[in-house]
Amino acid sequence: MIKKDGAKNWVGQALPRKEENRLLRGRGKFADDIKLREMLYLRFVRSPYAHAKIVSVDVSAAEALAGVVGTLTGAEIAAQTQPFIEIGPDPCSRIKDFPLAVSKVRYQGEPVVAIVAESPSLADDAAELVQVEYEALDPVVDAEAALTDKSVLHDEAGTNRVWNGVFEYGDVDKAFREAAYVVNIDRMHFHRFSSTPLENNVVIAQWNPKDERIYYECNNSFPSFAIQFLSAHLGVHIDRIRVETSDIGGSFGIKITSYPQMAVCALASKKAGGRPVKWVETRSEHITSSAHGNERTFRDTRVALDKNGVITALVSRHIDDCGAYPRYEPLGCVIWSQVFPGVYRFKNARIDFTQAVTNKCPVGPNRGYSRMQHLWFLERVIDICAHELRIPSDEIRLRNYIRPEEFPYTTPNGCVYDSGDYPRMLQVAKELIGWDDWKKRQAAARKEGRLIGIGIGTTLDSGTNNFGQSQIVNPGAPFSGNSQGANCKLDIYGEVVVSVGSCPQGQGHETTAAQVVADVLNIHPDRITVRTGFDTERNVHTGFSGTYASQFAVSGLSAVHGAAQKLRKEMSRLAAFLLESKEDDLEFGSGEQGPEIRTTSTGKSINYWGLANIVNVNSAVLPPELYELTLNCRYIWRAPFKVPDKQKKYGSLTLTYASQLHIAVIEIERDTFIPRILDYVAVDDCGTVINPPIVEGQVYGATAHGIGAALMENCVYDAVGNMLTSTFSDYTPITAMNMPKVKYAHIETPSPHSYSGAKGMGEGGAAPVHTISAALQDALFASGIMIDDSFNNADSLFRAMVAKEISQVEKLVKVERRA
Amino acid sequence: MAIKFAGDFEVKRTPEEVHDFLIDPSKFAALLPDFQGLSVQDSTHFTVKVKVGISHIKGTAEVKMELADVERPKRAQYKGQGSVAGGNVSLIAAFDLSLLDGGTGTKVAWQGEAQIFGRLASVAGGLLEPLGKKQVQKLIDGLQAALR
Repeated sequence: MIKKDGAKNWVGQALPRKEENRLLRGRGKFADDIKLREMLYLRFVRSPYAHAKIVSVDVSAAEALAGVVGTLTGAEIAAQTQPFIEIGPDPCSRIKDFPLAVSKVRYQGEPVVAIVAESPSLADDAAELVQVEYEALDPVVDAEAALTDKSVLHDEAGTNRVWNGVFEYGDVDKAFREAAYVVNIDRMHFHRFSSTPLENNVVIAQWNPKDERIYYECNNSFPSFAIQFLSAHLGVHIDRIRVETSDIGGSFGIKITSYPQMAVCALASKKAGGRPVKWVETRSEHITSSAHGNERTFRDTRVALDKNGVITALVSRHIDDCGAYPRYEPLGCVIWSQVFPGVYRFKNARIDFTQAVTNKCPVGPNRGYSRMQHLWFLERVIDICAHELRIPSDEIRLRNYIRPEEFPYTTPNGCVYDSGDYPRMLQVAKELIGWDDWKKRQAAARKEGRLIGIGIGTTLDSGTNNFGQSQIVNPGAPFSGNSQGANCKLDIYGEVVVSVGSCPQGQGHETTAAQVVADVLNIHPDRITVRTGFDTERNVHTGFSGTYASQFAVSGLSAVHGAAQKLRKEMSRLAAFLLESKEDDLEFGSGEQGPEIRTTSTGKSINYWGLANIVNVNSAVLPPELYELTLNCRYIWRAPFKVPDKQKKYGSLTLTYASQLHIAVIEIERDTFIPRILDYVAVDDCGTVINPPIVEGQVYGATAHGIGAALMENCVYDAVGNMLTSTFSDYTPITAMNMPKVKYAHIETPSPHSYSGAKGMGEGGAAPVHTISAALQDALFASGIMIDDSFNNADSLFRAMVAKEISQVEKLVKVERRA
Repeated sequence: MAIKFAGDFEVKRTPEEVHDFLIDPSKFAALLPDFQGLSVQDSTHFTVKVKVGISHIKGTAEVKMELADVERPKRAQYKGQGSVAGGNVSLIAAFDLSLLDGGTGTKVAWQGEAQIFGRLASVAGGLLEPLGKKQVQKLIDGLQAALR
């Protein structure tokens, strides 16, 4: 691979992924590939009930089975550990969350007993022998019903309400008084779905009795967060917990919340005398019990608009369902506000946000975490207003978009959108899909009675969190800012080695980090080794390290860039001494003996091996003033955040705002009600692109995930809390077989908030969910049907249309028209 | 997941004879489809074992039964709770008896509800209702035959 003609930098080049060679040949190392001597295998006995008291637990028959080494119960764990930290304030902080149920179960699939045996099969057999007697309690499977507290999940909290707060900005009442139109929307609902990584959760833990250290090999995607929870829970100093990750087969955020299983495996290892214990999650366990995305209901929405259809104010009441335990929540109660107005200019808004626990699987950060629910809500609002006021869906967006000249744009709640050009994205997308042509074809098809809709979804992917937003939900939370670490060194033989604090799951960090360092040192990226995976003992992590929330291109690569700059500076000082030159007379490049530094005036040079040799093994050559050089440079990058105003809920919550604009053309078959995508366009703007194929791949991935979520993936529970979609027969993630052809384009509005102009990306803002809802709405509006749910398949569309025909649908939307 | 069932049939026995049959676990329980065994704790409590199998989920359900409401010769109601293959079941089954016009026999009105929890409901939810109704019909057919 060589740079394109005229290209100055490796950043921006379509460099093939360094990881590809390993991963595509089956030579990756995943956690389940690891086999340790005397390793044991753990299996969970899980609750069949969504809500029940545990009357008794009898593990005697399981323990008597040959090959079973031991069992663990919730009572045993509660006796030797502290409950997990709760991020939220009272009453959330009163919840006692242990990794195994102690006296109650609160969702179907909650772990109750852990079995440890010599083989996975023996552990399976033993699990069938455990007798647990339950006394069923009334389950709560709806967040609005949960708020009545008729059946309380956590007695110690005394309520199912986890958190409530009002986010109010501008002069809402005045805007409504002056509005030309007020659109009222009774209820909308964002459904519960999850992610389907190729590799499920895996934990290997070893509690070494000799030094009381815990060693983990796992695929948790936010290890620095996990060890903070585990340290407090297990009563083990954080430095005694080592976490390593290797290749990870996808996470999408869901693997952040595997720390309860990590705790159980460590305690099981301790009980087994220090033998390593491995747990490999089954697919059904993953679907029912790992983590789901947040489900959210939007109530009593009122939208004020002027006579041109420009939104001037918005009020709404949002109820979020976080499942049985808050865990990473209630952070989701504030994270949505990173994108408070979406891509729109309205300044006046009041949103009353409440979160409740229910007898369902706990939620976890799921690709587009918390923001996608809100962005879907805003896109539904804009399309409903468009249809009701008979304004074309593209036109109403153009009237409401934040304009390109307004960037950097400060939102009503103090977030600063770094850059963007939404009208241009719309223009590019319309040209790519052939908007005018599709409009004509749609009109002709409608005359034939066909149901064709064209929908636009504009969305944001906010990246690099200010963890100070946690103080908006809990003023006592000890988190703020964001940072990432990296190390760049010349090894003894002159090899450039880079370590980062991320744990990539397919995002190409090895490649993009090499591109950044290659530019700093002016060498080929193949000359750079980027270490795979995360390891606490590399000492390059901060408390925020991991891979999540669309941030590596900014936080990770800024750290890598900083470390490479430090290394370059040290190499310059050393080379200037050795070549008897001045630093400003040196140039970095490659010569006959590989990477080198040479003087421009004399042509003398020294290669990397020579530099590394002197610092590492030939140091008597060095003068005292250069003793500080190590050629082993650690750099911590810090995001320039301040602590937000907790009372006003105001401040910069995220550093970069990538944007996506999708357009879908969908036909609902008249006979089968199956929605079929006829055409699909995705336009992306993540600022300066580090590596185009990597960006494009993540756009396709996020698009696939979103299309699956909109049409195929739904976590369905019955009235007593049985999850009815626990296998791929019922929970059907999208595959290549269902994926439509996606036309892709990108624009670049460089971010002023990152050194390279790049913005974090990869989550995609769930653009397809918004877009598909909009297209279905467009197809069905003439039939008097409102799309009020984010999940729509043939069955739900059939029910909506039948209900309409027999006049059972109450009108969800009412418009007040003022002269 | 709830499965509800109800129906009625007529037999030529007296209500007293029918009632005595229904509250005798040794006679009644043996009619349960795929019956495996019975242990009687006292006059109102007994445990039955029945084979359960849907696709790859197979096992023996052990159901603790209680004769919860008895009014001879009008009514008998059972409550039960048990576990099978990662799941649990709770059920209520009631029989209301009335003398047929002319005293020629007894009308047996039966109704019940089973709540299924756990893996069985999650994995095989769509199959449970038809299967459950089929098994209940087998029980009723057996009862009718035994009371002929």
